[in-house]
Amino acid sequence: MRLSDIDVVSPASLNEALSVLHDRSDRIKPIAGSTDTIIQLKEGLLQTKELLDLSNLLELRYIRREGSTLRVGALSTYSDIIESSVLSSSCRMLMDACRTIGTPQIQTRATIGGNLANASPAGDSIPPLYVLDATMKVQSRERTRQIPIEKFFIDYRKVDLKPDELITEISFEAVEKPCDATFLKLGLREAHFISLANVAVWVRWEPEGPTLSAVRVAMGAVAPVVIRVRKSEDFLRNRALTEDAIWHASQIAAGESSPISDVRASIEYRRAVIPSLLYKALHALIESRRAWEKP
Amino acid sequence: MNELAGMKRQFSFRLNGRQVSVSAPPAHTLLEVLRERLDVTGPKEDCGKGECGACTVLMNGKPVLSCLVLISQANGAEIITSEGFMKDGLLDYVQKAFVDNGAVQCGHCIPGFIVSAEALLSRNPNPSVPEIKIALAGNLCRCTGYASIIRAIQQAARKE
Repeated sequence: MRLSDIDVVSPASLNEALSVLHDRSDRIKPIAGSTDTIIQLKEGLLQTKELLDLSNLLELRYIRREGSTLRVGALSTYSDIIESSVLSSSCRMLMDACRTIGTPQIQTRATIGGNLANASPAGDSIPPLYVLDATMKVQSRERTRQIPIEKFFIDYRKVDLKPDELITEISFEAVEKPCDATFLKLGLREAHFISLANVAVWVRWEPEGPTLSAVRVAMGAVAPVVIRVRKSEDFLRNRALTEDAIWHASQIAAGESSPISDVRASIEYRRAVIPSLLYKALHALIESRRAWEKP
Repeated sequence: MNELAGMKRQFSFRLNGRQVSVSAPPAHTLLEVLRERLDVTGPKEDCGKGECGACTVLMNGKPVLSCLVLISQANGAEIITSEGFMKDGLLDYVQKAFVDNGAVQCGHCIPGFIVSAEALLSRNPNPSVPEIKIALAGNLCRCTGYASIIRAIQQAARKE
């Protein structure tokens, strides 16, 4: 399939997009920022005669706060997220994760909805949304569904999204004291790199001492889909975060992973670095809490 | 289906300050249309998959990779290529700073660097070296080792 032979439909509204998709879901492929899909088309990994271009649907490009809930339109770009004043006061972890994705040129175009639909196990926006317990809104012409993010990802590059559905919004609770969150990623260079492993951690601190009343840990690029590391979470909950406890929880995480060897790293290397990523993330959260306590 | 028999559609957008209209297959990339239909050859195709930055142009004021934008997606947009920064046929202060600092060797990647540098300086007129490096993270150069490019952008920021 040459690009010359592919038609592009450019709807002017979400309703129009959902209508087109309803009528032709068997033969049209939705695209957003298309920083992955155009490469897949050029390399023949994706075959389609028609593209449904969503990139100009401004109605799905918003980041707003309602009470303690943050709502991110699926077509918000990484630049929108990185520059968002709403998120800078309520979810820095997601901004930090998006800042590590691609390059400035890619961040201008690539969208968070696209990253979720593309469902790479190394997608860097996914672990933060796992620990935020985010809800995905998906819509078709006929219905709207709200899906907990962990239910959305079924298996390697397989998501709970029917051919006539689009992801339209991601929502989650703001991260505010006594809660905190952080994201860390390991790659082979300092810029423009794909994660060979990443981790996101969300915590709620007890008022006194370095103890967590609630904790969520997610890791990416260490299994066919992003995973919640529940054994580490169970170990960390209601326990003082001593050096030994942090290290033990980090070791548990390696046992919960099922990494592969690929062009970026071997199984052995991935297993070896997983504990240090969680270890560093927990220490970053302890540092962040210390900064709160400074007068 | 040969290319002549393939579908084409009319697209219009602003290119380097003037309105242009062009007939092209809707899934052709902006880069192909700029180079092959409009003879704007500043942006280059090197990798064609978003790794190198040689095709960088400004789209509505922000840097994008024209090899990963479809012409249909650019319909109605404001596009500026490295050529668009010249004033009355002369290099602007950023381009001149690249020449002054020997930041151009083979020159192939430089139009992309110019666009990324102009995008940076338009929103941050006085960038630090780390800020320059972040802004250039999506542009590869295999000749200069980047040091002269960073010096050029620092000189441009001083408007010398």
